[in-house]
Amino acid sequence: MGKKGFGQSEPPTRQAKKFLLAFMRCMAETQEDRDRVHNFFKSHQAQLNESLLEALPLVVQKLTPEREEIAPFLLTFGNSIQQFPLGDRMLNLELSIAAYQECLKIYTRENFPQDWAGVQNNLGIAYHARIKGERAENLERSIGFHQQALQVYTREHFPEKWARAQNNLGNAYGDRIEGERSENLERSIVAYQQAMQVYTREHFLKKWAMAQNNLGNTYRERIKGDRGENLEQSIVAYQQALQVYTREHFPEKWAGSQNNLGIAYRERIKGERAENLERAIAAYQQALQVRTREHFPQDWAMTQNNLGTAYGERIKGERGENLEQAIAFYQQAAKVFSRDAFPQQWAKNQSDLAETLMKRASLTNKIDDLDSAITLLKASLEVAASGTPYFIDSQYRLGNAFSRYYEYTQNPADLQQALQAYKIALEAIDPEHYDRKQIWQALPTTQSILGSRLVRDGRWQEGLQLLLNSINQLSRGDDFYAHANALFQTGKAHEFLSDWDNARLYYRDALRLYEHLKDELGIAQSRAGLGGVLVSQGYLEKGLAELAKAQEIYQHLQKPNKAAELDRLYQLAKRAWEQQLSNEVYV
Amino acid sequence: MTTADDIFDRSANNIRRLGLKEIPFTESPIALNSETLRCVFTGREGELEKAFNQFQSRDRRRILVYGRIGIGKSAFLLEVLSVLRRKRPKMLTAYISLPSDLDLATTALIAVAREMPDDDWALRQLHQMGIPTTKPMKERTTEASATMGFGAKLSEKDLPMTKAQYATVSLETLLERASEKYPEGVVIAIDDLDKQNPSVVRQMMHDAQGILKGRAWFLLTGHPTGITGDLLTSERGLFDLQLELKELDRETTYRMLINYLNTARIDNECKDLQDPRSVLPFVPEAARRFCQVSLGKPRLFNRLGNTVLSRAAELQEQLITQTVLEECLKVAAPTLLQRAALNVQEERVRILLQQRGSLSDDTITMADLEPLGFRSFVDIVPILERLEEADLAHQLDRGDAKVFAPIPLPPADDEVLPE
Repeated sequence: MGKKGFGQSEPPTRQAKKFLLAFMRCMAETQEDRDRVHNFFKSHQAQLNESLLEALPLVVQKLTPEREEIAPFLLTFGNSIQQFPLGDRMLNLELSIAAYQECLKIYTRENFPQDWAGVQNNLGIAYHARIKGERAENLERSIGFHQQALQVYTREHFPEKWARAQNNLGNAYGDRIEGERSENLERSIVAYQQAMQVYTREHFLKKWAMAQNNLGNTYRERIKGDRGENLEQSIVAYQQALQVYTREHFPEKWAGSQNNLGIAYRERIKGERAENLERAIAAYQQALQVRTREHFPQDWAMTQNNLGTAYGERIKGERGENLEQAIAFYQQAAKVFSRDAFPQQWAKNQSDLAETLMKRASLTNKIDDLDSAITLLKASLEVAASGTPYFIDSQYRLGNAFSRYYEYTQNPADLQQALQAYKIALEAIDPEHYDRKQIWQALPTTQSILGSRLVRDGRWQEGLQLLLNSINQLSRGDDFYAHANALFQTGKAHEFLSDWDNARLYYRDALRLYEHLKDELGIAQSRAGLGGVLVSQGYLEKGLAELAKAQEIYQHLQKPNKAAELDRLYQLAKRAWEQQLSNEVYV
Repeated sequence: MTTADDIFDRSANNIRRLGLKEIPFTESPIALNSETLRCVFTGREGELEKAFNQFQSRDRRRILVYGRIGIGKSAFLLEVLSVLRRKRPKMLTAYISLPSDLDLATTALIAVAREMPDDDWALRQLHQMGIPTTKPMKERTTEASATMGFGAKLSEKDLPMTKAQYATVSLETLLERASEKYPEGVVIAIDDLDKQNPSVVRQMMHDAQGILKGRAWFLLTGHPTGITGDLLTSERGLFDLQLELKELDRETTYRMLINYLNTARIDNECKDLQDPRSVLPFVPEAARRFCQVSLGKPRLFNRLGNTVLSRAAELQEQLITQTVLEECLKVAAPTLLQRAALNVQEERVRILLQQRGSLSDDTITMADLEPLGFRSFVDIVPILERLEEADLAHQLDRGDAKVFAPIPLPPADDEVLPE
């Protein structure tokens, strides 16, 4: 609000009043035709600014005699500006909220219960989309508004409005940050299912399709139940929606459901992965036929982002080219998803781009891409609302980026940062989430690498503890390779500390597990370690046998350097053994 | 006389029939008084000599006594302290078993404070930690009294119980106070160091380096498979002497049996190794067999001794011949198993051990481990050590592998070995 006081004046209301009256005239003339209202906004875009936002309550106040008459216009203004796809999105939403709030001063629950409930519903939608303020808090308010609406819109008296409020409540619960994510998604499903009791295909074809689409979204993200099955349900729901949402009759909705179907196919577990990704790409490309940058910039950017992800994971085609294509899609999306206008979408897009850069780094072995990925992820995390799926994804990705970065820099501080990121992700993710295992396993794996590094650096106390923690966790997980590696690293750490007994114990455990996994390189490494320890303990014959076996595997794996390195130890041990034998003979 | 009285008398008579006034074996040396310990402590001459050599120095030393579970570390510690008490009256000796949730400084503080019952400051430390003292501690406060004019009344209130907040500083202070009264120094013996979680102890040792290198002498115990394995290698320089206690040889075990029996035998003080009366109520062959099954492990020796004498008394035997001994040993395995109160997983590992005859990091397979729900031998080491602690398993002396085997006791009559 503008400051009042000496030399300060109240916000200029003349322009705002003029604008509002022009809008009211337009409404009267156009009969609230959406395209014409949008054209009105387009031609008055310069006036859609902060001054209007500040002046709005004052203008409404000044129109006091006609207050009751102005209420419907305010409501329409709020609805239209919320749906206006151009201009400053954040401001549009704030204008919409301000208009609704002014509306509520007129439409009280006592005097206009139905209108009051209608505004509550609209406020719920606006707060759901709101950019300004704390995301979690906005969503809580959104849920609150929908629940308020449901107090008036009972199923008995207003079945259709009740179904609408249930549907909107389902949307808000689907994105909720507070509370357990798995539980929120279940609530969302229940709300949609409630809505569909009224929105039947027979009576409300369009609404039924909408609810199917929304249900598809929630099943796609559902945590409880079998993940593969949930995704199948999601695909079925979208396909149901698309039976109604045809391109001919509902081009926008059709494009939206195609986009969603694409996401479900990309995430699909059943069926051939390569084929699912091709289907996803095809669905996105269909969506883009309607979602043009010119007409639907936000939706266009969203699908660009999705295409980026699908190309980043694509199996068919040349990998390098696919990654370049993915990066190009993200860059396109970034043209609309700016940090100021769409902070959450911007954060996700940045994070997705970072992931693709990391993939490119694996392909090209270039550290620059990892560098950029870390910068992008850090920036993305500055904006991403804590606890959202994007936030968790970005933390996990940051952990991966730092782990990989360490491979180049060999700086333990990078691993510390990776651990930190994994820990944050793990704390934020729902305990039942299907991605949790992945993060859960990344943590001990990194711990074991950092642990062995710290031991080598002389920080054995800290290092050994990390290694033992990681083994403890990995022994309960199902990543056998990571477990075997952690056992091997612990053996190595004990060897470094000259704790031969423990080193031998861990090397033998690593060897056993690698043999079980038929991992030749792991077997060779473990035998080499074990051989070295046995030699150090004075069990030369046994040690030599292990070293010889390790050498043989290294040669078989065409790792001559490793074999030669081991040969030096072998020859030394052999000489010592021969010496020992000759001494025995002499004695 | 009631029936219960009769039963008590009969029971006492059964022991007397064996020529004993009581069963002398006890698995915890702490339960023995200093005089009895002096009588039964046998062997370890070399180790004692090494330890006492350290005490001939003016410098304070740190000694680590390590060895497997039940090998006699506590008894050794107590024997060292008991000798010091006799030979160095101006030296303060304190013994404590490491409590599960305390740091080394607090533990040492408690140990020393308990040995200074005349020192108010020491008692206050104990009192503040909620540890009962012989003298009731009261805090004196002065209160201005309105009713007594200019006078003041003295009141007493109980002190609140709190943990030692600055244990390291308090210990330093206490040691300073002790040095006035005990100019020959203070010896703090902390037992059972690695009955705690190894990582906790590792951290504890790391944190306590300052204290260990401070004013007092320290005697610590642990077993090589736990923390001491790390300590020996990683905290090099922390200990001036690392003493390993190994299994007693047969002859020493035989002498130990004589010493134990001698403390309880009625009208027979024969300790002559060659004289068969020295091992009564055992006949010499049975005594030798008993020493053999005890594997030179003092705690197993005591546990088995207890079982054998109780069973022989029940059977109303006068003499433990080889046949009687075998009969008595049959109850040992089920008794040990019952006392161990194993959980399901421990029992499964025990059964596997019985089936295989031995388990080691060298020979165990994934096929052995997987049905137990494990993938690595290190996972079952704590369970095998638990069996070792319960005398249901023992470790073989192999440097190139960690090998556990069942204690070779005769099976009970009704025990069916699992397939």
